[in-house]
Amino acid sequence: MADLRTYTIIYVLLLVLGTGKFVFFEFDFAYSVAIGGTILLAVAKIGLIAAYYQHLIEEPRSITYMMATAVFMVFLLTIAAGYSIQ
Amino acid sequence: MADLPPMTTVKRWLVTTNHKDVGILYIATAIFFLLLGGAMALIFRIQLWEPGGVGILTGNEFNQAVTTHGLLMVFWFLSPIASGFANYLVPLQIGAKDLAFPRMNALSYWFYLFSGVLLIISFFQQGTFAGGWTMYAPLNVPTYTPAMEATTGGNAVILGLMLFVISITIGTVNFLVTIHRSRAEGLGLWNMPMFTWSWLLTVWMMLFAFAALLAALLLLVSDRVLLTQYFATDQGSSLLWAHLFWFFGHPEVYIVFFPALGIMFETFQTFTGRRLVGRKWVIIAMVLVAVQSFLVWMHHMFLTTINLEIKTLMMATTIGISLPFDLMVFALIYTMVKGRVRFTTPFLFSLGALVLFILGGITGVFLGAVVLDYEFRGTYWVVAHFHYVMVSGVTALVAGLYYWWPKITGKMYSETLGKLNFAVYFIGFNMLYFPMFLAWETPRRVFHFAEGAQIYHRVATVGAFILGLSFLIMILTFAKSWVSGPDAPDNPWEFSRTAEWAVPSPPPLENWDGRPSYASGRLEFVEDSPAATDGGVAHGQGNQAEATIEHEEEHADHASIWPFGIGVGTFVFFLGLSGLTPYIVDFAEGTPNPPEGLTTVPEPSMLYPILTVLGIGIMGVTLYKFGMEDFEVPEMNIAERWPFGGVGNTKFGVWVFLASDVVVFGAIIGAYIFMRIHMGWHEWTTVPFASWPGLLNTYVLLTSSFTVILALVMAERKNKKGLLGAMTATLLLGLTFMGVKAYEYSVKFADGEYWWYGLEYSIYYVTTGMHALHVILGLFIAVFMIYRIISVDAYLEDHRPVEFFGLYWHFVDIVWVLLFPLFYLM
Ligand code: HEM
Ligand SMILES: [Cu+2]
Repeated sequence: MADLRTYTIIYVLLLVLGTGKFVFFEFDFAYSVAIGGTILLAVAKIGLIAAYYQHLIEEPRSITYMMATAVFMVFLLTIAAGYSIQ
Repeated sequence: MADLPPMTTVKRWLVTTNHKDVGILYIATAIFFLLLGGAMALIFRIQLWEPGGVGILTGNEFNQAVTTHGLLMVFWFLSPIASGFANYLVPLQIGAKDLAFPRMNALSYWFYLFSGVLLIISFFQQGTFAGGWTMYAPLNVPTYTPAMEATTGGNAVILGLMLFVISITIGTVNFLVTIHRSRAEGLGLWNMPMFTWSWLLTVWMMLFAFAALLAALLLLVSDRVLLTQYFATDQGSSLLWAHLFWFFGHPEVYIVFFPALGIMFETFQTFTGRRLVGRKWVIIAMVLVAVQSFLVWMHHMFLTTINLEIKTLMMATTIGISLPFDLMVFALIYTMVKGRVRFTTPFLFSLGALVLFILGGITGVFLGAVVLDYEFRGTYWVVAHFHYVMVSGVTALVAGLYYWWPKITGKMYSETLGKLNFAVYFIGFNMLYFPMFLAWETPRRVFHFAEGAQIYHRVATVGAFILGLSFLIMILTFAKSWVSGPDAPDNPWEFSRTAEWAVPSPPPLENWDGRPSYASGRLEFVEDSPAATDGGVAHGQGNQAEATIEHEEEHADHASIWPFGIGVGTFVFFLGLSGLTPYIVDFAEGTPNPPEGLTTVPEPSMLYPILTVLGIGIMGVTLYKFGMEDFEVPEMNIAERWPFGGVGNTKFGVWVFLASDVVVFGAIIGAYIFMRIHMGWHEWTTVPFASWPGLLNTYVLLTSSFTVILALVMAERKNKKGLLGAMTATLLLGLTFMGVKAYEYSVKFADGEYWWYGLEYSIYYVTTGMHALHVILGLFIAVFMIYRIISVDAYLEDHRPVEFFGLYWHFVDIVWVLLFPLFYLM
């Protein structure tokens, strides 16, 4: 397990990233920039939480692959369904 | 913990957690539901004797019979009987003593049983669900159900199905952990018996597919009980349902077929005396099919408004998926050609299954072609196709019953009666389903058809009764064997090779005395000396005194009443929920903007709120007892664990559960995105009154994630005060989150904007509500853990539960990371 210091740094990072999304939409960014930026921030946050707080990095890689498969299923469903009505 | 009472007592079956007992319970219950579903079919086949019906059913009763027939057969019979076989045989085939989580296994069974009881009760709640087994929108919501009285019964069916899916999910987690982590030494994945292989792939498909169905059902229940609008609008509702349902539904047709396929492989090998030809390629083909099954679902939507490009793509993937199936079929045929066939009853049924499957598969390819499907969609061609494939699966499952009957009961059956059974079955089957191809122009689920088709329908009805008769012969054969059949040897089949045939019939409670091992290349039972295995898994037989001491140490528990108790509580709770709609309607009508279109609703009955509260009470007590119970399940010391070595059973189980929850939540979020795309991304109304409560809650939840990590660090340092403090902080932060949420909702309510106010409102309340529900569940666990820390200094020696709780809690946090921008910002 990582030490308390690492966890604290990540906590601060998460707070910053969370605020970032809000900033994107509250200040004058183009909608597409705001969306793109928010997606990036969300991915970064989820990555940090999963990798360190759920310490996926210390587990066998196969668990990460399993979770990635689950996420892939969601994307598959959402994107294909969304595309089907274009 | 008490030991298991004898098999002849009722108590045994209520408290058992042993995989073989649970397997028997599953098989017996599934056969009961088969008979019930069969009775429905016979009734409506009589109605179909003449165009326009002979009048034994009203239109609505006909719909109810057709609907429940489909639901019972697909959900309550096919998968559970396969589950029963898997429960009984998979641990035996892989060399384990039981499943990884025996109490959870019992819990899945009780959820399954009670989910079926809910369906049966629905008939007596003024009528059951009548919208077809596919539950297409908008016929699945009360507003569009002609017989409004049926709301309660319809709710009970949907809730029952939800409970069934929960049961499946628990079972899935259990089997994945078991098969991946409890294989005997030397039993690599490639060498697993074919039935276990087929079941492993089945549960992997179940994990992802049933999660999508659970999401769909949660939304549907919310529509039916709370009056949200997911499936009641003309803004993409029916497409949303079709996508969610078929994303589950197509994998589901393989989920029900794979175990049957596994049985065909096993029986072909045993009764031809030959290893499956191209065994490795067959396994690869099965893996391919399992993956591809998630890529074809829109071939069920060729007649909807989805675009032609995606239809064409789905046509291609559909044709692609039949290729690996061809390989499997040829493998079976060559195995037969190369071996020397022994025409026993199980083999006959398996061979019959193969023949029927070929016909069903070919007619499926017709349906996969877009232009042909324009003509065939919604006709008896489809009905004939899927009965040929699905009931081909049933045929193989019957083969499995005959094949393993001697193992399970220790009795032989009469081959003469078995063969008679097969002959009647095969004739009945083809008389019933083949004419449906000829009568293909008949629309399905309707009892009006052209005069010219009458002869086909009459033959089919006669065939239905013959097929029904064959099941009576089957039951008679088994009953006779049970009462007066000769005793079965360990292995009645000359060429069977899998491990279940190496132990007595029926096998002893813990399956083996020594430790099964394949290290030498073939099955052996080794006697580990306690020293060599630090603690030892084996119950040594050589030295009696030593064996007893060891037995004391490694005592495995087999009995617990709490799974049954939780089952009862959940059942009562769900039954209560089924009758709450009228209260919500009453409440909604008192608000400024009530929902439209709800004119006739059943009278509220006090019974239902009482049951709901009672159910929650029972669940609370039994879950608490379950959590407190000392239940020892030794993990195997020596086992093959690829590719999931290096994590404990429970941690892996938690992760598997989270994987399914990712799909549940993902599908719900996907529903939001889909509906928003359908509406036009920028047409969307943002519901929350401001974005700051969302930001505030982001901070609150992130902080709680930090305190949970802190709790884990404290537990590792054995610092009780720190652990207690961190857990309490988590609890308080969770409560703060809920407080902010409540404030946010109340601002909306004050303006009369409830969840039925519009589609955006439904989606906002349901999605954030589902998340809040997860938070609340987490808080209950936190309270339980805090209580344990205070009362017994828990988790200082073994901090894993804190870690598992953290995994869940962080997941809930991750979901919020997505919900915040989606609902508050975009
Ligand atoms: C082998 C290749 C297969 C192909 C190409 C295929 C293709 C199709 C297609 C295109 C449909 C949609 C027809 C329509 O509604 O217009 C369909 C329906 C269906 N298939 Fe298959 N299928 C195959 C195998 C199977 C198997 C193995 C099973 C189950 C064991 C199965 C069960 C079903 C069911 C239950 C339906 C009807 C669902 C409903 O609308 O109620 N199919 N099939
Ligand atoms: Cu399909």
